[in-house]
Amino acid sequence: MTVTDSNQPAPDSPADSSAANCCHNPGSCTPRRSLLYQGLTALISTIIVAIPASLGGLFFLDPILRRQKSSNSSQPGAAARKDENGFIRLDVTREAVPQDGTPVSVTVFDDIEDAWNRFPNVPVGSIWLRKVGDGPILAFNSICPHLGCSVNYRRAENDFFCPCHTSAFALDGKKSNEVPPRDMDALEVAMRTGGKDDPAGSEIWVKFQNFRRATSERIPI
Amino acid sequence: MNALLNWFDDRTGVRKLLHEALYESVPGGARWRYVWGSTLVFTFVVQVITGFMLWSAYSPSTRTAWESVFYIQYEMTLGSVIRGLHHYSAQAMVVLMAIHLMQVVIDGAYKAPREMNFWLGIVLMMIVLGLSLTGYLLPWDQKGYYATQVTTNIMSATPVVGAEVQTLAQGGRDYGHLTLTRFFAMHAGILPAMLVGFLALHIYVFRRHGLTVHDPKHAPDAQFWPDQVLKDAVACLGVLSVVLMLAVLRPAELSAPADPAVKFDAARPEWYFLFLFRFLRFHAVEALGLTFGAIIVPGIIMGIIAVMPLTERVLGRAGHFLNKAFMWSLAVGVVVLTVMAFYEDANDPGHQAALAEAHRDAGRAIELAKSPDRIPVDGAVALLRRDPFTQGPRLFAQHCASCHRWNGHDGRGTLVTDALKPGESGAPPVTPPTAADLGNFASRDWMKAILVDYSNHFRWLKNASWYSAAKEQQSKGESVEFLDPDASEMADWTSGNAESLKSPENADNVTALVEFLFAEAARPGAELDAALVAKGKALATEGNWAGALNGTSCSSCHDTIGQPFPAEVDESSGNGYPTLAAYGSVAWLKDFIRHPDALRHYGAKNRMPAYSANQLTDTDLELLVRWMTGDYPKSTVADYPSMLERIPEPK
Repeated sequence: MTVTDSNQPAPDSPADSSAANCCHNPGSCTPRRSLLYQGLTALISTIIVAIPASLGGLFFLDPILRRQKSSNSSQPGAAARKDENGFIRLDVTREAVPQDGTPVSVTVFDDIEDAWNRFPNVPVGSIWLRKVGDGPILAFNSICPHLGCSVNYRRAENDFFCPCHTSAFALDGKKSNEVPPRDMDALEVAMRTGGKDDPAGSEIWVKFQNFRRATSERIPI
Repeated sequence: MNALLNWFDDRTGVRKLLHEALYESVPGGARWRYVWGSTLVFTFVVQVITGFMLWSAYSPSTRTAWESVFYIQYEMTLGSVIRGLHHYSAQAMVVLMAIHLMQVVIDGAYKAPREMNFWLGIVLMMIVLGLSLTGYLLPWDQKGYYATQVTTNIMSATPVVGAEVQTLAQGGRDYGHLTLTRFFAMHAGILPAMLVGFLALHIYVFRRHGLTVHDPKHAPDAQFWPDQVLKDAVACLGVLSVVLMLAVLRPAELSAPADPAVKFDAARPEWYFLFLFRFLRFHAVEALGLTFGAIIVPGIIMGIIAVMPLTERVLGRAGHFLNKAFMWSLAVGVVVLTVMAFYEDANDPGHQAALAEAHRDAGRAIELAKSPDRIPVDGAVALLRRDPFTQGPRLFAQHCASCHRWNGHDGRGTLVTDALKPGESGAPPVTPPTAADLGNFASRDWMKAILVDYSNHFRWLKNASWYSAAKEQQSKGESVEFLDPDASEMADWTSGNAESLKSPENADNVTALVEFLFAEAARPGAELDAALVAKGKALATEGNWAGALNGTSCSSCHDTIGQPFPAEVDESSGNGYPTLAAYGSVAWLKDFIRHPDALRHYGAKNRMPAYSANQLTDTDLELLVRWMTGDYPKSTVADYPSMLERIPEPK
């Protein structure tokens, strides 16, 4: 921006490029500076504001700039509830899941790291567990893939239903209307005995993950 | 482009505004002496930018304030620089403000018609000091906590409404969550808003009357843009460079998390208030009371400054001279008192020891907060409360250091000294320890010293009054049981076998026995030579030494050596010799501190007080013992230096 002053001659007159000696006419002093002089002033003025502002801006971008840290711990959690692959042992066992295929809601515990704090062994989410006869255990994250509300089980309709925006899912997690962008998020399940893989074991270990909402793809957060 | 600018100007009048802002006449030419006001505005802008950024990560509560500042300082991108900029710019602002005020008085810029602007400036000064004060508490560290306690207690000395003022400032009777939320609201909301308002008025009135020209004939007249702006910008760049350099080279301090239960003897106000701190410590000022020194005197000084325009108006030139003389005397007084405060602190061993402890605690808190376990929900203060490395030295100083020493000091890095007698001067004499120095307790050196250097190792006992009393009784032929470093069975064994113990043929055996005893102490993280331990154990129980020592085993007296320390002790057990079952281990040491007079320890020979749970709680005993045996996460924080050379030898 060039500020023009009607009281002054054009500032780019070559006659007074000297900064030290500014006046044409000592009687009524009309100081004129070369563009260079004005440019220098503008430059320094910009620098002194730009430095703190850009440092501040970088600081504000910290959540993006810092190395990505999972909010859930990657280390095995308290009392060996979590293994190195991220599987967490649930409190319920195979026997506690209803035989008739009715889903049960289970709270998952893990350690949470939140900025400066670490909360050991706290609830981190809830999942739906379902067993069909003696078949495999199915696990679904109870967060709706639409916009993150909670999916409930409707006994009357015998389906999963999200009351916020009426997303509905069959008991196998398949979406049954066009509201949700994808099926319910199925989670990996491992049956174990004493922490060792055992298809006939009664310990239920689940790889608990949250996924980005409102996309048709499953993208872990 | 031009059309757009014209449109914009037509609606806003921005060109006229800019013209007025930039083409202010500067009679006598642009000068460096006019830059101070601009640098103040600039530092305020820096404070606003960095302050908003810090705000985006700061969490005001007693369990999150220190923690979030720690996170800013040590984890966030450029966090240390942003906090440093804010920290040092605040100090720069106070310095620049002082220069600005001095110059205004010297140049007579307060005279009519500029009185109103002078008073506006004084209001601004108060707001800036208020910002410094409220900001100092926000990290909720020991330094800010205790320094601000002093300030709020001074508020309580205000006549009539003191207690109410204090309660309002604190948000309650004591410091707590609400103190932080209120201070934060003042610091980031109310005071800055007032500052912006008064600054706008200040600049408006300044422009109305124009610059106070120091010397109109100095040079031909110039204009604000670009002549003076360039000088202002260069000065601001200078300020920014200094502040940025300090922020990078000397990051802002974060002392240990505030703990009302832990004394902080290193408490000092920020350096620009040190003069007032020192002034309050004059005996004459103390004698006149806190209200006089901390409220009336500063009030009178501010009052004299505030009436300077009137003084000049009434007294004319003499008044101006008086005003200048007052400012110069004030400046000299402030400098002298500040230098005195720094000098005295630097030469005060008590203050230096308190500083050393403060740095150790701060370093430890930061180290623990950085560990993979992070900070627990009950805050960083709980990390330190549960940390043997932090609590052990304090418990030792409190309970043990009246007899024992830790590497020559009291555990907290301070020499134990006697009071100077009336009329004496100089350093107070070092109090001789009357029990063992425990700095290397249960280390290999300790075990070896007991084996080959017993009398010397326990020589400190000879300083005790019970020792001389027992010696005297003994010389009278009375029977008295006590531990004599020069004449006990153990002393006799080591001195009687000194030649054989120190002979080359037994060198390996001594090393093995020391390794075994050290293994018995079960120090966490100790690297042991298993073969040596086994060899040492055989020596202890079977006595298969070389030469004259052969056949003398430890277990012939200390019959439980090599056994684990019993989970439940039989009170009647003991054979008159101290038990060496797991000697030096956590279990042994806990039992010893609780029952040194038990038969299994020193029995009738004991002179150490038994520490019951009433004197030393189980939690404190655990912390003390874990510290003494090195059972805590290792620290990279510098520990207190050894003071062993300064301990006088027993006569």
